[in-house]
Amino acid sequence: MCVFNINKHFVLPFRLFYPPFKSFNNNMLPLVVLSIILPSDTINAQTPDINLDEVTVVSTNNTGRKRSVKGQSASIDEHLSELSHVNLVRRGSYAWEPTVNNMQTERLSTTIDGMKIFYACTDKMDPVTSYVESGNLQTISLNSGLDGNPQATGNIGGSLDLRLRKAGFDAESFEASALAGFESNGQLQVYGLNASTSKHKFYANGGAFYRHADNYRTGGGNELQFSQFQKLNAFANAGFRFTERNIAEATFIFDRATDVGYPALNMDVAKAEGLIGSLSFTHQFVESWLNSWQTKVYANRIEHIMDDTHRPDVEIHMDMPGLSRTAGFYSLLTASSGGHSFQLNADGYYNRLFADMTMYPGGAAPMYMVTWPDVGTLNAGLAGTANLSLTDKQSLRLSTKLAWQRQHLNNDEGYHALKVFFPLMTNLYHQTTGRIAAAYTLTLGSVTLTGGAGWGSRAPTVTEAYGYYLNNTFDQYDYIGNPHLKNESAVELNASTKWQPISSLSFKIDGSLFQFANYIIGHFETRLSAMTVGAEGVKVYGNTSHATIANADFSAQWAPARWLRFDAALSYAHGSDNEGDALPLIAPFGWSLSATYTAGKFEARADAKGNGRQNRNGEKYGEQSTPAYYICGLSAQYALGRLTARAGIENLFDRYYHTYSDWCGIPQKGRNIYVNLNFDF
Amino acid sequence: MRKLSILSISLVALLTTACNDNDDNGAPEIEIPGITFDGDIDCCSAEEALQVYKFIQTVHIVPELSLSIDGKYDITAYSSAGEFHTGYNEIFFVATKKLSGNYVKNFDISNITPLMYMIKMDKEHSTAVGAVENFDNGILAVKRGWVSFVMSSSDGGSWTLSYDATVLDGRGTLERAGITVNALPNGQTWLKSFKAGDDTYYLSLVNPTDWVTGTNAIRAYISKKSAQMTTPYALANEVFTVEIDPRMPDMGNHSSPNNVALTRQDDGSYQGEINLTMSGLWRIHLTIKDASGNIVAGGDDLDDGFSSLYWDVTY
Repeated sequence: MCVFNINKHFVLPFRLFYPPFKSFNNNMLPLVVLSIILPSDTINAQTPDINLDEVTVVSTNNTGRKRSVKGQSASIDEHLSELSHVNLVRRGSYAWEPTVNNMQTERLSTTIDGMKIFYACTDKMDPVTSYVESGNLQTISLNSGLDGNPQATGNIGGSLDLRLRKAGFDAESFEASALAGFESNGQLQVYGLNASTSKHKFYANGGAFYRHADNYRTGGGNELQFSQFQKLNAFANAGFRFTERNIAEATFIFDRATDVGYPALNMDVAKAEGLIGSLSFTHQFVESWLNSWQTKVYANRIEHIMDDTHRPDVEIHMDMPGLSRTAGFYSLLTASSGGHSFQLNADGYYNRLFADMTMYPGGAAPMYMVTWPDVGTLNAGLAGTANLSLTDKQSLRLSTKLAWQRQHLNNDEGYHALKVFFPLMTNLYHQTTGRIAAAYTLTLGSVTLTGGAGWGSRAPTVTEAYGYYLNNTFDQYDYIGNPHLKNESAVELNASTKWQPISSLSFKIDGSLFQFANYIIGHFETRLSAMTVGAEGVKVYGNTSHATIANADFSAQWAPARWLRFDAALSYAHGSDNEGDALPLIAPFGWSLSATYTAGKFEARADAKGNGRQNRNGEKYGEQSTPAYYICGLSAQYALGRLTARAGIENLFDRYYHTYSDWCGIPQKGRNIYVNLNFDF
Repeated sequence: MRKLSILSISLVALLTTACNDNDDNGAPEIEIPGITFDGDIDCCSAEEALQVYKFIQTVHIVPELSLSIDGKYDITAYSSAGEFHTGYNEIFFVATKKLSGNYVKNFDISNITPLMYMIKMDKEHSTAVGAVENFDNGILAVKRGWVSFVMSSSDGGSWTLSYDATVLDGRGTLERAGITVNALPNGQTWLKSFKAGDDTYYLSLVNPTDWVTGTNAIRAYISKKSAQMTTPYALANEVFTVEIDPRMPDMGNHSSPNNVALTRQDDGSYQGEINLTMSGLWRIHLTIKDASGNIVAGGDDLDDGFSSLYWDVTY
């Protein structure tokens, strides 16, 4: 149920000096964070890639790319929020679910350095972005829409690739850094350490991070119960150049979140643990139109244990563990010739998803059910992209992927349970999906015009096809998967215009339209009775003949002087189903403004952002309307030798608010003061 | 079952031929503890005996019901746990020749008569009993009957059971052997009665512990209380339909779809289909209709909106 608990404690508005802050000088030095200076690892295609957006997590060379004002101490979620077209669905203060172009996980691809990874929680408490830490990453790159990265499958809304932070060959021979961050609201503490070594033939880098937060306070000073979290992360990368043109690399990430509260849900998380590893081999070609050929094998394991033992008034105690295991490979060949560049990728993976639920009614026998019937998905795909430079003013980007998959239900109990609802189902399914997208860019003086089109399809997710009585607190319905679902497909049209009349002033407007066929969403099934106590009823996933999602963004940048810059952005989106009714979780009108002042190594910024009222809420789908809000913030950073300090105030006026994407309307953080320190040894 | 037996025969054959010098032109030699195969045509062949032997390994002897006939034959009774509980119980009988220990090929068990003596009222009554039949058309050497006990043994009353047996030339009767009928644990109620007109009927649910999550065949018997209470209650001749509405009381009366009402089969049993969406306690609310579709029992709306006539099954 959408009830969150707030403790009515008043908190002093400016509680700047927390004990952790004071103790920093004494004993926190060994835990300080590191930040490695790296040359950009982004492949630079000669043609501008309009659909690509990137946020730089770690970088010391100011390339003008997007970065969080909080620096590396920012959470993955805060980094993600810097990206265009991205919003975050928040169920607590940890593990936010990114949406791209107003589409959630089902319609997105998320990869880590091209590796497939699948979340293990039937309630989507653990988007895969929650199994890495900012310090693991160099950049997060986003391909909007159907033009996905080569490893992406099923990306209708977009594809995120979290690019790992590797020291690389021939970099600084030794570096180490430490970081510490503190936030007043929720007493968030972040500590991190990084170290790297690099030679011509070898590199290695690694780090460890720790985050801890207590319950945060909403605007007005009330404590939001069950909004705490704790996370430990360690990673290591190594590369070995065994001949001049042949490189082997290994990566490993361990990530464990414990005691994570989800104020928007009925349950918390006792443990969410990810083990992610890969080995790759890269051959670099010389004097050839071929550039490189990289083959990577990888495996990861995600374990997710929910916990309701700390909640008051639990009707029935439940155990709900989930396990996701994936192994796979990809092999990527890149080439370039005469201003054109090409990528060819083959990939395959096998994923097993199992989740079950045991309920303990007082005194009576435990009740057990399998909620994800140990689904084994074997998927193989072939992808290609081409960036063609037609003339010096025109370019064309093409991308395509074809994927085939086989799904087998390995758990008989779960299979037979689902068969009650679908007597004709089998335990083996095959799907073929594909996508193709093209974008054309034309530069006319100060104006850059881009137009694109694409078509793509996706297979139903395990939840959509085989999920079993999964309670959705958003609309209070139990969801049953539908093994007879057809693939969902969409046609995308997009266009953007950038106008830079003078070098200090630029405007950009872009829009995208997604027209879906066989849109997958829960359909009311009044003949079935809910399982969850208190649920409104049952929905079964079904194909809706068509649906539409449209997005429009406008941004402007003006730098009247070298030391002053103004940014403004507006966004609007529209989603409707086959009956013209609003789809849920579509962003209302949003705006942001900021002014940045720069003087040498000092930078200060004032910003404001807000949303209009969400009137067009998906009422049919259980979505409530959301009032308008705005918040303001201040931030500053200063680099003093090896030390970089960042500080700021978020939600300056301590507004009590929630956004359309705050699950069950849980309120956002009230006023928050942060101080982040970065020290390079 | 058949497949398994054949497999085990070949396994035993392998083992025995490997270490047996009594070579019968390569024919497989079967050995069963306690049984001498002497070519007696009244008794099972080695292959048949092995099937019987394998089966009785899966059940347990009820020692109270053993019967010796003329010093030549032994009747042994089995149930799934070697004991009885309220509701439906299967009883299996096997006859052996004392001399060879081998199973007699065919024999008869009749007049199974359970009786409860109720101390306070100084009265006796019987309970629902099914006809004895061959366990399997292939194995005549095992007989199966069933008794559905309406109540458990207690300080207030005790059960006895009698039956007659005919084995080849011998006849015998087990007279009022004392037996214990245990109560079922909480969450298990497999026998219910209802009244239609002046008659009382008993609804015996068959072996619900075999159920799994998913679709299950549901079987039951409807027996009619005899005019003479001490006469075992036979299957009712009247034809009913038993509609089922399975619910989970611990889950806000969560239900399952596509259940099929129990209807009478040629063998006198009632069969339908029940769908179970998870394990745990299921309360199966019942509506009994007569041949013309009139509700004769259950199907009433209690405060919770469900029939007051129900079975409880926990699996």
